[in-house]
Amino acid sequence: MTYRLSAVVVAVFLAGHVVADQARAARDKSDTAFREQVKPFLAKYCADCHGGAEPESKLALDRFPDLAAADAQRDAWPKIRKYLQSRIMPPKDAAQPTAAELKAVIGWIDLHFSGVDCSLRRDPGRVTIRRLNRAEYNNTIRDLVGVDFHPADDFPVDDVGYGFDNIGDVLSMPPILLEKYLAAADQIVDKAIYVHAPDKTPKQTFLAGKVQHQGGAEGAGGWQFPSNGELFTEVELPARGQYVLRGRASASQAGNELAKMAFKFDDKQVHVAEVAAEWGSAELYETKLTVNKGKHRFGLAFVNDFYDPQNPDPKRRDRNLAIEYLEVQGPLDGPPPEMPESHKKILYCQPTKGHERECAEKIISRFASRAFRRPATSDEVGRLVKFVDLAAANGESFERGIQLAVEAVLVSPKFLFRVEDDSKPDEKSSNTDGIHEINEYELAARLSYFLWSSMPDDELFHDAYLGRLRKNLRKHVGRMLKDPKSRAFVDNFVTQWLEIRKLKQLAPDPMRFPAFNDELREAMLEETRLFFGAIVDEDRSVLDLIDADFTFLNERLAKHYGIRDVTGPEFRRVHLNDPDRGGVLTQASVLTITSNPTRTSPVKRGKWILEQLLDMPPPPPPPNAGDLKDDGKVDASVSLRQRMEQHRANPLCASCHAPMDPLGFGLENFDAIGAWRDREGAIAVDASGTLPDGASFKGPRELKAVLKQRKDDFVRCLAAKMLTYALGRGLEPYDQCAVDDIAVGLAKHDYKFSALIHGIVASDPFQKRRGK
Amino acid sequence: MSNWHISRRTALKGLGTALGLPLLDSMLPGTAFSPFARSVQAAEAARAAPTRAAFLYVPNGMHMADWTPTKVGPGFDLPPILQHLAPLQNDMLVLTGLAQDGGRAHGDGGGDHARAMASFLTGTHPKKTHGADIKAGVSADQVAAEKVGRLTRFPSLELGCDAGAQTGNCDTGYSCAYSHNAAWKTESQPVAKEVNPRLVFERLFSDGPPGETQEAKARRNRYRLSVLDFVAEDASSLKKRLGANDQRKLDEYLTTVRELERRIARSERPAEEGPAKITKPSGIPDDYAEHIRIMYDLLALAFQADMTRIATFVHANEGSNRSYAFIGVSDGHHDLSHHAGDQEKQAKISKINQFHASHLAYFLKKLKDTPDGDGSLLDHAMIAYGSAIGDGNRHNHDDLPILLAGRGGGTIAPGRHIRYERETPLNNLWLSMLDRLGAHTDRLGDGNGTLAELAD
Repeated sequence: MTYRLSAVVVAVFLAGHVVADQARAARDKSDTAFREQVKPFLAKYCADCHGGAEPESKLALDRFPDLAAADAQRDAWPKIRKYLQSRIMPPKDAAQPTAAELKAVIGWIDLHFSGVDCSLRRDPGRVTIRRLNRAEYNNTIRDLVGVDFHPADDFPVDDVGYGFDNIGDVLSMPPILLEKYLAAADQIVDKAIYVHAPDKTPKQTFLAGKVQHQGGAEGAGGWQFPSNGELFTEVELPARGQYVLRGRASASQAGNELAKMAFKFDDKQVHVAEVAAEWGSAELYETKLTVNKGKHRFGLAFVNDFYDPQNPDPKRRDRNLAIEYLEVQGPLDGPPPEMPESHKKILYCQPTKGHERECAEKIISRFASRAFRRPATSDEVGRLVKFVDLAAANGESFERGIQLAVEAVLVSPKFLFRVEDDSKPDEKSSNTDGIHEINEYELAARLSYFLWSSMPDDELFHDAYLGRLRKNLRKHVGRMLKDPKSRAFVDNFVTQWLEIRKLKQLAPDPMRFPAFNDELREAMLEETRLFFGAIVDEDRSVLDLIDADFTFLNERLAKHYGIRDVTGPEFRRVHLNDPDRGGVLTQASVLTITSNPTRTSPVKRGKWILEQLLDMPPPPPPPNAGDLKDDGKVDASVSLRQRMEQHRANPLCASCHAPMDPLGFGLENFDAIGAWRDREGAIAVDASGTLPDGASFKGPRELKAVLKQRKDDFVRCLAAKMLTYALGRGLEPYDQCAVDDIAVGLAKHDYKFSALIHGIVASDPFQKRRGK
Repeated sequence: MSNWHISRRTALKGLGTALGLPLLDSMLPGTAFSPFARSVQAAEAARAAPTRAAFLYVPNGMHMADWTPTKVGPGFDLPPILQHLAPLQNDMLVLTGLAQDGGRAHGDGGGDHARAMASFLTGTHPKKTHGADIKAGVSADQVAAEKVGRLTRFPSLELGCDAGAQTGNCDTGYSCAYSHNAAWKTESQPVAKEVNPRLVFERLFSDGPPGETQEAKARRNRYRLSVLDFVAEDASSLKKRLGANDQRKLDEYLTTVRELERRIARSERPAEEGPAKITKPSGIPDDYAEHIRIMYDLLALAFQADMTRIATFVHANEGSNRSYAFIGVSDGHHDLSHHAGDQEKQAKISKINQFHASHLAYFLKKLKDTPDGDGSLLDHAMIAYGSAIGDGNRHNHDDLPILLAGRGGGTIAPGRHIRYERETPLNNLWLSMLDRLGAHTDRLGDGNGTLAELAD
């Protein structure tokens, strides 16, 4: 034992040495590269502008005497890398580095700052347990219990991080949420599992005014009888059994007895109630009766009219009865006519006397395994079965016990969180970081929540159980994308990536944009959803997202776009003849969320393109940056563009706005709700722009062409966003390798959408997990 | 929305009272209609009418020229934004000169809106992150909830009108958690606010199906406690096998389980009957003004029935770009706040500020008209109102617009405009309020003492 221990100590000690040596060597290598390649590069190509007393964009690249100085500015390097790689810098009119020089510098940045060398062993990252978000909760309940009623719609809105609402680290558990989980579980079991309870048997209620009458008249409080009379109706009873007959009534009193209401069933008087309820404050009176199935006559009669006009108390002179309604409920003792599907599915075995426990174990084991997305342990099942005992101890039924067990499962963290268990990280591997493939149940859940925002189905579970899910992965992915449940992917990924969820809260100025209403808002969203859906269904190139010659319209939206011959409220595929329309950029959803309520915002549109399509977010504005004067009283001969150009004359603003505004100007032909315009007020729209790299364009079609030339940036951006969504965590520097692979794979397969999904699913971060 | 009106009228008719919402004696704990019960109640109330505190937030700063009175002391002047509060002038203090240093950049660059909301009640400088590791501080209301919250059914209420963000990070690199949450239970756990009046109502009053017997209710609560026991055990066993970040999530979960257990245990008391004659609101009204009013109605009700003593209410998330077309301001609020000195824009901002202040006046008047113990609810309340941004264009976090209404159970002498020395921490106000709530704490964010002049 002593020997073994010390061997471990020695091994660790040696390992520590090796690691330290490696680190030192790497540092030396990096230092050499910095001095020999990076520093001269910066001096030659960058420092003219990014140097001196007032460096451009406040980025001084002439102040890195050594590696330590470069390290101190660690935040600046990813940006430098991006601008170099996209060849935005150096600007076109300046001296350009050779491809080899560029590669050397970018390679150095990658290696030095992220420590990422894609040729070495890769870190797949480690995702924090993810709480189901609202959409996932709703869908999971639908698929688990078979009850589709969106209990999570009342939950607080989920926290958003890295642009998405499914990020494990960010999703919190506010106290109110647990209350909601408990209340939702209550409702779910109530709907899904039938428990016989007399007070829940079906009721038939008949308002007094709607049935047949002998005597009396309609008045406040229902049907009023100033003298004897009767209300009656026909009732159809579904089965023989015990029923409760009710009447809700009030009375005014006179004489020495209370007003009497007789219950008549098939012309027999079966009960007489003394109605003490004060006139206007009706109460329920009832009796029980066992009767046969079929049609019956049910009546309520006033039988003891009394009049005493001489009574000194004016309130004791006239005995009258008022009836609000009649009601029949039952059968109290019979089985319900039809069990809900969910009940049969969950309670798939019937308990027999003395074998309740076996049956309960079977039911609970199956339910908990599906809910926990892995086989439930016998300990878990044993603890859950106690709820059946608890119900029995309270004199309640087997079904009630199952309800409680199901409720406990639905509030358990093992259901509410997607847990990936590291208790046994790959023991065979010799690595100390515990990098291991996640097990197949975990893989099934990653897949299903990625593509369906819901739990795995039986086929996924089955292959995971047999240990052949990885082998059949491509087949499953293809199958899942064809399943209508993949609509959830569009609803959740696409609306967040493109930020069009914001549309729900936007209110364009009704004076300037009277055309905007909820119908148009919904149509805008639907267009983008269907458009993306077509890319998925037809496995089209993802570059179609930038530009395509088709879209989906209904009459309302077609009119908005000025496209003729589309009639009716239903959406259909429409071929676009105008090359200015087509692609998400030109869809009203995106154009509206990137506008101000009163006007377009080329800045917001440009920023959106940089952030959502190219993954190059501009730096934030200084806190005291002003907005344009926007009082509606500007000289009408001055266009928005001219006003913004004045604004940009300020060099402080120019450096950030130069790559941003021109992109937005390319879309100026679309107004703040996405309709086409040739003029802005009295001025012809000028939709031309020139980017810092010299690329210039005029109008949406040419802007799209420029973006298509930057398809590598776009594809990497899309891959990174989708990987973030698929993993439920923010990307780390080491994920760059996976993003690279996915982008390369896409290009190899003509940018087909399926190649993107397959690339993500096959990637290390999706398949594996670091142990600690 | 209209249902609410009808039900409110019905309720009024049924009970013969003239208050805006039926703030009825029948809803006070332990009351019946008998005169005896009432006199007992009154005697008890007089002995110890509890002090309540609400923290009300408005976003994007204020048009300060239309907010700050020029005269100090009693009989101060009322600039346009405070005009709506004229009838309540003697019930409130305008506190000028307070600062919330945590809102400042301190080298973190942009993001003043996120920092403003997250620092407002915490007095801490929130960590700049839009992902995993959010960190601010415990908020004043949650300190109070922790200390006196056990005395009421709900330790605190968190109300708002805007749900969280649907997409994106909210303010230049800051998680949306910052700009949406005033209440922070721990430094990493914001308390989500309820924005749907129907759900607030159900939470407050709909405890179980109508007509449920005491016995059935007790059984249901026993079952719920068993379920909570079960899931707490699940969480504890799970926790042992997971990494640090995972454990943090399960700790959050466990805390909420414990809290809910306490609440259920408290609801065993028979005095918690709901108001029989109020019908619940049907959902979130389309009309923003109506939305604010109903939230205030519900808050007043919760205070009166002593269901909670601590509340936060966020009129709109910080950085909100809501359009106020219904008062003739169709531009986005945040867009406007970058006014760059433009007077027309400032006038529009002032209009929005006045709109919010008019609802504050509505709420305060309601509290003032509601008898409570030996005085009114407002007498036993401390209602703090304001923003952690001064001028929306400058994004300054000093010279904040802050107002404190109510007498705090006789511990505050309102009716004055007090000017504090520059850079006096806003948290000193929170510390002063906490003392008056019986929730004294030595440390809260950057607070370094209490505000002396509140009492005289």
